[in-house]
Amino acid sequence: MGRILPFTGDPHRETRDLMPWLVSGRLDPDEQARVEAHLAACQECSRELAAERELAGAVAELPIATGIGWAAMRDRLDAAARQTSPTALQPARPRFTLRQIGLFMAAQAALLAAAISITARVATPVAPYHALGAAPSTAVGNVIVVFRPDVRESEMRRLLKGSEARLVDGPTAANAYVLRVPQAERAAALSQLRNDAAVVLAEPLDAAALQ
Amino acid sequence: MSDGGVAHRQAGEIGVTATPEDLRLFARVRARDRDAFEALYRLYHPRLARFLLNLLHRPQLVEEVLNDTLFVVWERSDTFRGASKLSTWIFAIAYRKAMKALRRLDEPVEDADVDLRPSNEAAPDEPLNQRRAQAALLAALARLSADHRAVVDLTYFHEMGYREIAEIMNCPVDTVKTRMFHARRHLRRIMDGELADWL
Repeated sequence: MGRILPFTGDPHRETRDLMPWLVSGRLDPDEQARVEAHLAACQECSRELAAERELAGAVAELPIATGIGWAAMRDRLDAAARQTSPTALQPARPRFTLRQIGLFMAAQAALLAAAISITARVATPVAPYHALGAAPSTAVGNVIVVFRPDVRESEMRRLLKGSEARLVDGPTAANAYVLRVPQAERAAALSQLRNDAAVVLAEPLDAAALQ
Repeated sequence: MSDGGVAHRQAGEIGVTATPEDLRLFARVRARDRDAFEALYRLYHPRLARFLLNLLHRPQLVEEVLNDTLFVVWERSDTFRGASKLSTWIFAIAYRKAMKALRRLDEPVEDADVDLRPSNEAAPDEPLNQRRAQAALLAALARLSADHRAVVDLTYFHEMGYREIAEIMNCPVDTVKTRMFHARRHLRRIMDGELADWL
C-alpha cells in the first residue's frame, strides 16, 4: 500500500512541472514522495528546485501592484507637499506614464479599500503624514476622495470649488483626502466628483453612523 | 426545508472538500443572513482584489468585477453544492467575470509596451537592487497573458494546488502545469538577467 507509484513519463519533466506545488506544499503525498525521490537522485533537478524557491519567494514578496510604487509614491508625496506649500505652488511634473498611473491607482484603491473596511473613523486623521498645517482641524469630513496621481493643483482647486467642498484632512496614507461638503449637496457633489476624470474614487463618509 | 437546512445537510456530505468554517459561514449566507454575507465579503475582498488586480491590470475594473463576483455569490448561493472548496467556487466566478470583462474591452490582454522601470534615482530607504528586481519582475508578469498570470498568482500568492487552479480556470490540469512552466521560464529569464546586470 505504501509503495510509491512511479512516474508515468519522464521523471525530469514531471518533477519540473510539479515543482511550484512542491515548494508551496500543495502536492498530494504520493506526488510529493515521487518528486522528492527523484530530487534526491538528480542534481539537475535539485538545482532547479533551488531556483524555483528563489522565484516563488520573489514573486510572493511583490507588493500589490507596487513594484513601481515607491518611486511614484515619493513623487506623489513631493507633489502634494509642493501643492500645499505657499512658496512653491506649481503643478506636479508630468512624469507618470499611463502604466505607472494605473498601478499607482490600483495601489491607492487597494489601500483605501483596506482603510475604509478596517475603520472608517473620519474625525481621526488616518495618516501620520500631514502637509496641511499644524493646527488640528475640528471639522468633520463627510466625503473621501482620491485624485489621479498626476492631477494638477489647479484642477483640484476647481473641483473643490465646484462641489463647494472644503479640505478637512489628507493626504492620508492612501493619498485620499477627506472633504466637507454641505450635507444637502453631498449627493450632487459626489456625483460631480465621480464624473470627473481627475477623480479616481469619491465615497460618502458618515461619522455619526460610526459613533 | 429552509435554505439553512439545506446547507447544513450539505455540510455533512461534503466535509472533505469544504472547510467547516466555510460551511458554517456559507450556511448563514444561504439563509439570506446579510451580516454573514458582509463577513464573507470582508473575508474575500482582499484576496479577490489582489487576484483581480494581477489578472486584469486595470484598477478601474477591479471593484466592478469584484462586486459582480460577490453579488453572484449572494444571489446564486443555492448553486454552491460543496463539491469544491468555497474559495475555489468563488475564485472560479471571479475568473469567469474577469475574463468576460477583458473580452468586453476588446483590447490586447498583454502589455506590449511595458514601462515599469522606476526612476534611476536611488531611494535612500530602499535598496536599489531590490527595487529594480521587483520592477523587472512586475514588468515580466505584465508581459504574460492573463491566463498565465492567473496561474502564477493562484500558485504563488494564493498557494493553491494545480487541481484547484484547473477547477477555477475550467481547464485540464496539464494545461495548468504547462502554463506554469512557461510562465516560470519567462520570469526566471527576466530575473536572472536582472540579477546578472546588478550583482
